[in-house]
Amino acid sequence: MAANVLAKQVQNKWNNSFARLNRAEPGITGLLAFSEAWRIATDFLYPRDLNDPTPRKEYSMQEVRASFEFLSRAKMLPLLMENFLEDMRKQQHLIERDINEYMAEWEAADTPDFMARLIYRLEKWYKEWSPIPELGSILLSAYTLAFQTHLYSSFPPSFSRGFKQLIASSFSFVNAPCPPWALPPEPHPSLPPGPARQDVFLWSACESLGLLDRYESLIASVCYEYIEAHVMETCAKRWHESMLTCLRGWMTDRVVPWMVMPYARGARSADEARQMLQGVGSRFDYHMCKTLCDLRLQELFDIIIEYPDSMPALQDLKECLSRVDQRNELVKSLRRANRKRLLHPGADTNSIIDQYKNTMNALRFLDPPGVLLYKVADPIRRYLRERPDTIRSIVTYLVGDGEGGEGLGNENENEPIQPLQQRQADDYNDPNWEPEPIDAGPDFRTNKPTDVISTLVSIYDSKDLFVKELQVLLAQRLLAVTDGNYEKERRNIEILKVRFGEAALQVCEVMLRDMTDSRRIDQHIQAQKQMPLHPTIVSRHFWPPLQTSMFNMPGQFKEIQEAYAKEFHLFKPDKKLHWLPHLGTISLDIELQDRTVSAEVPPLEAAIIEHFSTKDTWDVADLATEMKIERAAALKAVLTWVDLGVLKEEDTGLYKLLEVAEEASSSSNPVARQAAMEDTSSVLTVQQQEQEQMKVYWKFIEGMLTNLGSLSLARIQSMLKLAPGYDRTIEQLADFMEAARREGHVTVRDGVWRLQQ
Amino acid sequence: MKVHIKKWHAIAQWRWDTGNNDPDDDGEGDVCGICRVPFEGCCPTCKMPGDDCPLIWGECTHVFHMHCLLQWIGTASSKQQCPMDRRPWVTAERKVD
Repeated sequence: MAANVLAKQVQNKWNNSFARLNRAEPGITGLLAFSEAWRIATDFLYPRDLNDPTPRKEYSMQEVRASFEFLSRAKMLPLLMENFLEDMRKQQHLIERDINEYMAEWEAADTPDFMARLIYRLEKWYKEWSPIPELGSILLSAYTLAFQTHLYSSFPPSFSRGFKQLIASSFSFVNAPCPPWALPPEPHPSLPPGPARQDVFLWSACESLGLLDRYESLIASVCYEYIEAHVMETCAKRWHESMLTCLRGWMTDRVVPWMVMPYARGARSADEARQMLQGVGSRFDYHMCKTLCDLRLQELFDIIIEYPDSMPALQDLKECLSRVDQRNELVKSLRRANRKRLLHPGADTNSIIDQYKNTMNALRFLDPPGVLLYKVADPIRRYLRERPDTIRSIVTYLVGDGEGGEGLGNENENEPIQPLQQRQADDYNDPNWEPEPIDAGPDFRTNKPTDVISTLVSIYDSKDLFVKELQVLLAQRLLAVTDGNYEKERRNIEILKVRFGEAALQVCEVMLRDMTDSRRIDQHIQAQKQMPLHPTIVSRHFWPPLQTSMFNMPGQFKEIQEAYAKEFHLFKPDKKLHWLPHLGTISLDIELQDRTVSAEVPPLEAAIIEHFSTKDTWDVADLATEMKIERAAALKAVLTWVDLGVLKEEDTGLYKLLEVAEEASSSSNPVARQAAMEDTSSVLTVQQQEQEQMKVYWKFIEGMLTNLGSLSLARIQSMLKLAPGYDRTIEQLADFMEAARREGHVTVRDGVWRLQQ
Repeated sequence: MKVHIKKWHAIAQWRWDTGNNDPDDDGEGDVCGICRVPFEGCCPTCKMPGDDCPLIWGECTHVFHMHCLLQWIGTASSKQQCPMDRRPWVTAERKVD
């Protein structure tokens, strides 16, 4: 029963199918016609092997079209398609073989031309197998999908690397003709006329294979890398010009034309292209800003060192920062760089302060509210507070002791002098009040002092420390003044008064008045009685503790002192003088039998030579006892005269006055004698020779100036004595140093030498 | 040998000649009995030491900053006496050596 029904059903179906295929043609002619059409269609669609040398069978398109028409009427197209796709799957190995072949070649050569050839080859496969468009878009898209699926599944893993290489090389096609390998192997049928770009073939091949969509992120990453490489190459360490405009120009010249190909190839007009490129273009622009920003952040420490010459770089960074939020990164990297390169025991306090000052200026420029500065500066300030010599450095900076006259004088040319600013509470009535920036920390205050000096002084809680240090510095300078010219110091004090307030600098005011008073008193006394002595008379309690010692000036020195003191007492009856014998300088002429030696020496040295005027030979120990000074101090003074050729060591510790200069007998320093002899023959060569010899000692001098910062000439001389074979006098050293100064190696200021930075 | 001094730049401190002739006096020195500030300093109302803030000598041999003493004499409770020994204050003639 059931079998009957089934048999009937099958018969019905068969009848229906037959009727559909035969279409009421007589007999089975319909069926025959159908099978003919099917044969032609499948044969036409069959995916052939490109490598098959046998020529393709020619089809009359009319016939083919008619067959498809026929099959379509019989509703057999889906079946045909299935059949076709199945055939494709079976033939897939042909393509796979090609891919493997090209990839192997590429891997061996590692040049993009094999990739280009592969792409063109695949495009050819794709075109070869593609059914005619008359079959409708459904069939066509089904074919494309199936082809691409097969294709992607057959790519080896190295394909993406190769493709990347190809894309990367495509940048060079933008402004230059393509190399032959990037052109299609055979003349393209639809060669676009006019100045169309040649790389269009490669891109359209990629597109028809669907590679552009599939590898979109890869293409973008290639472009990112391209931009990064360019930024690194052109911008690294170039801080003296603004790079951003130049980079934007480069983007327009090089990257945008390239972008047209993968992203806007189909555009018909410039406007359309612009629209298509807008999104991706701004992504690339952002990436460029970010790359530049990252680069500049890495270099920020050095940029700050170069401030203000590196201003254009900061300008770039500011613009980038507004586009890319890297503020946190900035704080982190700059703090790291500071910790590593600045805040360690090897750094000079002056350079830390300089760097801090530059950091202030640079970050104020980047971020006017000062949030960045506050975050970066905090560790520097804390570190500076721990350093013992910070105050001295800041004070030195204040009065402009740095090289090139930097400091107070220069600082104030472009900004008005203002009193030190103190923190103020928020003014709640201020109509222009603005909330603190969002990334400000809890301790941040917008109205912190903004000028450099106030900020430096505010490292410490009290400014008294500065005033004290200032007093010491001022005292040193004033006491070194011999020509009565201390206008610079007066001006500095006037400026500092504005900053620190009148009361704090009262002491300095007294010191300056002592200077003028001394001069007036001296003029009066000189009018009464001409004397070579010109003392600076200071008010004790108002000067920092001065070096005191108890030796007495001998002989004529004592007489002069007493005479002066007497005149002073006459002029100021209720005052008297208390000499500080150690301090000051004396210029002397030592008149010997055959020569006169002129020298400018400290009083101790003068006292020593005075003792030799009573007795020709002295033991250092005796001298020390006689003058109530330490032996070491006496020896040092004696050696000064030995250098000048006035004294000579007879025996250990026993020195003799040389009434007649010893030249022939000075076996101890043959070099000097030789130099002196040559001196008569030709002046120039001796000088040159001396320079040559001095070069050996230059290393020593350079070393000590590097280590100790600044030294007086006498100090350098006494240290050089420790060097083997050193036999120069202090005058020769002075000449040499002067020469070094002319050559720009060292600078001198107030008798103190230092290396030119 | 002869030593000729061409120019000598020396440093000295001035002291009030109070009769205390200790040459080794490097300490704080004598202080004014009224304001307890050293004589070579200045009285609390002055800024500049020295001639601007001179000393005053009494017949009783006591010495003060002039401004300090005048202020003291100016108050009623002083009864014109030296603050140290309560003898009537008489300013001494400046002794000239």
